[in-house]
Amino acid sequence: MAIEARIGRGLRAHVDAPEAVDVHGDTARDAIACLMALHPQLRRFVLDDAERLRPHVNVFINDEQLADRAALSDPVRDGDRLYILPAVSGGSR
Amino acid sequence: MTNTTEAGLLVSTRKGLLIARSSGGRRDWDWSELQFGGWIIDYAVRDPRNGTIWCAANHWQWGARLHRSEDDGATWSEASTPAFSDGERSLQGVWTIEPGVEDGVLYAGTMPAALFKSSDDGASWHELSALTNHPTNERWEPGAAGLMFHHLGVDQTDPGRIVAAGSATGTYVSYDGGDSWQQRNGGIRADNVPPEMQDVTPCIHSMHAHPRQRGRLWQQGHFGQYRSDDDGEHWIEVGRDLPGEFGFASAIDPNDPDVCYYVPLDFDQARMPRGGALKVFRTSDAGATFRELSDGLPQAGFHQAVYRQALGQDGADPLGLYMGSSGGQLFASIDGGERWTLLRANLAPITAVRAWTMT
Repeated sequence: MAIEARIGRGLRAHVDAPEAVDVHGDTARDAIACLMALHPQLRRFVLDDAERLRPHVNVFINDEQLADRAALSDPVRDGDRLYILPAVSGGSR
Repeated sequence: MTNTTEAGLLVSTRKGLLIARSSGGRRDWDWSELQFGGWIIDYAVRDPRNGTIWCAANHWQWGARLHRSEDDGATWSEASTPAFSDGERSLQGVWTIEPGVEDGVLYAGTMPAALFKSSDDGASWHELSALTNHPTNERWEPGAAGLMFHHLGVDQTDPGRIVAAGSATGTYVSYDGGDSWQQRNGGIRADNVPPEMQDVTPCIHSMHAHPRQRGRLWQQGHFGQYRSDDDGEHWIEVGRDLPGEFGFASAIDPNDPDVCYYVPLDFDQARMPRGGALKVFRTSDAGATFRELSDGLPQAGFHQAVYRQALGQDGADPLGLYMGSSGGQLFASIDGGERWTLLRANLAPITAVRAWTMT
């Protein structure tokens, strides 16, 4: 078993990455770090230069939005899906 | 007069980059397809030393990047991007890139406000932290677009002399390659703070250090147009008779230190040309007088701005000027602004225009 990281279409429009990747870890931070190790081209899209989640990137664990965006401490378990999706931000009137 | 054989344009927009080339006397242009479609291009510039084109791309969701092309934009590679190392700040954008004097040296002005240097042609960058940590930084205040250094003057005859200006940081000069900096805002009005306030860091919108006259600076700010003859220790307001003290864009003529072009907008509560008439003004006598240049420009119903880096010049004689608007129109003049033509319309808002010629 593993955690299935799913990369949103909006992100895959900019960077070569699979739609789904098996990752491992006990927290969202672990799972994202695992994803970055497997696909390092994703790092600069998802994290800023202070290694923080970019403000307009949303992370869900199954149907729950990540609670701890600062430390990414939300627990994950085998069988979970970890979604990395662009937020619906950036528009203007 | 320059015998111009080839000219190039980099038109940065909020939806990508366009590159144009002309071998027909700057009248006929061949346009590239849109590069980096969907990305905000904060700035693009060609390094005259080696022809490398640098493109600072940005995206609401995915952050800021630098790309480089060695073949006039036919292909691109992602370059190393300036990054903060303190674990607190994160790069919001690269607003300007300036070639240095020595081989491989480049400078990048960023948001949040900082200046980075590369000594290996962009393979790596380090922050010139003496500027960021200047004791006056407590007065820095972000403008509507953020807090950034957006214009640099790098002396091509003296590697130690760098002038940096930003919003709203004011102007700083270094004579030791960025190890130390002096604040240089004498005489600039800052109507957003009480007149008693000292060490104001005014909002500079564009600034140019003339390459042929050491100490000669020009700027357009939030409150007026200015010239300095001593690297900003004293600024002389030159634009009091122009139709608007506010404005973003200005350009110099690298062949003549007494020439500067401004695109004044009505005051900061309007930020569009007075009366809906787009006008460029040129001084040829160091700011003593100005000539209105509006032939070919819309003189009614123009409610757009020209952003701070959106007036480019190509260095030729007569000077070519290329002006992009916030409504995606690109105007060009190949006679120093006397007559303008519309080169492109219906583009995304134009953030920056840079041009070059080869002889």
